[in-house]
Amino acid sequence: MLLELRAVSRRFGGLLAVSDLSMTVVSGSIHGLIGPNGAGKSTVFNLITGVLPVTSGEVWFKNERISGLRSSEICRRGIARTFQATALFREYTVLQNVLVGAHLLAAPGLAPTLFWSGTYRDRERQARERGRALLESLGLGAVGSQVAGQLPHRDQKALALAMALATGAELVILDEPLAGLTDQEKSETIAVLRRLREQRLTVLLVEHDMKAVMGVCDTVTVLDHGVRIAEGTPREIQANPAVIEAYLGAEEPSA
Amino acid sequence: MVLIALAIIVLPLLTRDSYYLDVATTILMNLTLTMSFRLQVSTGQINMAHISFMGIGAYTSALLVTRLGFSFWATLWIGALTAALLAVPIGSVALRVSGPYYFLITFAFSEVVRLFFNNFFENLFGGPSGLVGIPKPDRVLGMTFNGKLALYWLMAVICAVVVVALVRLDYSRFGLTAGAIRQADLVVETLGVNVFRFKLTTFVVGSFVAGVAGVFFAHYRQVLHSSDFGLEPMVLLVVFTVIGGTGSVWGPVVGTILMTVASELLRELHHYEILVFGAVLILTMLFAPEGLVALPGGARRLLRKLRGRAAEPAGAGVAP
Repeated sequence: MLLELRAVSRRFGGLLAVSDLSMTVVSGSIHGLIGPNGAGKSTVFNLITGVLPVTSGEVWFKNERISGLRSSEICRRGIARTFQATALFREYTVLQNVLVGAHLLAAPGLAPTLFWSGTYRDRERQARERGRALLESLGLGAVGSQVAGQLPHRDQKALALAMALATGAELVILDEPLAGLTDQEKSETIAVLRRLREQRLTVLLVEHDMKAVMGVCDTVTVLDHGVRIAEGTPREIQANPAVIEAYLGAEEPSA
Repeated sequence: MVLIALAIIVLPLLTRDSYYLDVATTILMNLTLTMSFRLQVSTGQINMAHISFMGIGAYTSALLVTRLGFSFWATLWIGALTAALLAVPIGSVALRVSGPYYFLITFAFSEVVRLFFNNFFENLFGGPSGLVGIPKPDRVLGMTFNGKLALYWLMAVICAVVVVALVRLDYSRFGLTAGAIRQADLVVETLGVNVFRFKLTTFVVGSFVAGVAGVFFAHYRQVLHSSDFGLEPMVLLVVFTVIGGTGSVWGPVVGTILMTVASELLRELHHYEILVFGAVLILTMLFAPEGLVALPGGARRLLRKLRGRAAEPAGAGVAP
């Protein structure tokens, strides 16, 4: 297995936002994390990526403990993420955004940079080519030189994913990748996720669109009030009485 | 860049007047400072202690030369390295916080340094009456540095190296990451860049350059006062940089040249000069918040907008 949470808890003052959560994400799968509003899903993402420290418990990735490391170090180990409120470098062009993401793969060092050496130019050219190819594959090929802050919502979402992929991550964590998209755009994004799985990437996502989650995920974990109440295949989850109970009055999981 | 290089080379051919050479040398010295200050601003840090690292370089070199007989050519490096070394612990503390807290911590530090030079070890730093009797740079490779012209050339070489290196950095991946940190530091961190270490690197490199400028300053003016590294010159440094524009690496170049010349023209005003600068800063913030270098682009956009509006049929843009 690729990612493992071992009895992870996170406390905010008197509130236990995540309580004793254990879950595993299998390599090469699409894993959904669902739950009603305030269930602690985004907090779990912040704990995995080191944006917030865990109060107790451990996070393991590829048989190494990553809880306690800086976010940048966790990214170096192979985990990249997007944010719920799409976070971009709004003043930069689309290609520049992706190049910042490619920092890890292409950082040429101080001396080659200062002396504008052949190594530097080669690395930079390669990074640009890779960046353009990545944008092309996510349907952003035509907008590479546009300013990111002025892109339509759909393209901003795709760009956030492109930046995460540019790091060369093995596990990408997506916070509501479908939020605010039209049905047409949703199915395009889902197709992209399936393609990533074919390329042996692992995806962990939080999403409110139950139809999409049940359609694309291999495994689903359900959180309620910071506690894991169920985990299994979409079919198992939909039949689970605890899940139906948690969602009563909110949104009913539907096939 | 080519234009500036030409100006630097042509100027001494036009005039040997020591006043003009002095102004030109001051511009180059200020430019070295504003460029290294802007390196830190590019990641979003306003380091109010930048001038202190210039002071650390200046006093280190002045003391090593006057007390221990070191050569200027050794202390140029030693002074700058001392500034850079002290920047490591100071930056490590200050960069734990950001925004206004960072501003306040670095400001407090700069006052500590100034008061230290003013009030402690008076037999070393000269106290309120200053440290005097600092010699000009000594002979090296058959070159002497007694005249204004030679010192001008020395400063020009130092400044050229600094400007070329910092412009190069700004146009590289390094500058790209710095700007990204300014826009959304958390995102940069989750994309694998250790933001703390990156900011600390800019802090230390900036302090090294400020140290170099300080060493030159000490042996150029030949006398040091703690107030040379106090709040007023620091504020001027900020004003120079901000008026030019911090968004572009050329901002400090434009700001420094214009404002150093303005400062000379306003010399008669003495301490009221800073009032004029304050007013200029406010006007810049109001009418060109991205600095003077952003004006041509802004004017172009405005013109296009005006033309676009003129082309629209009359009344089309009027809301009821």
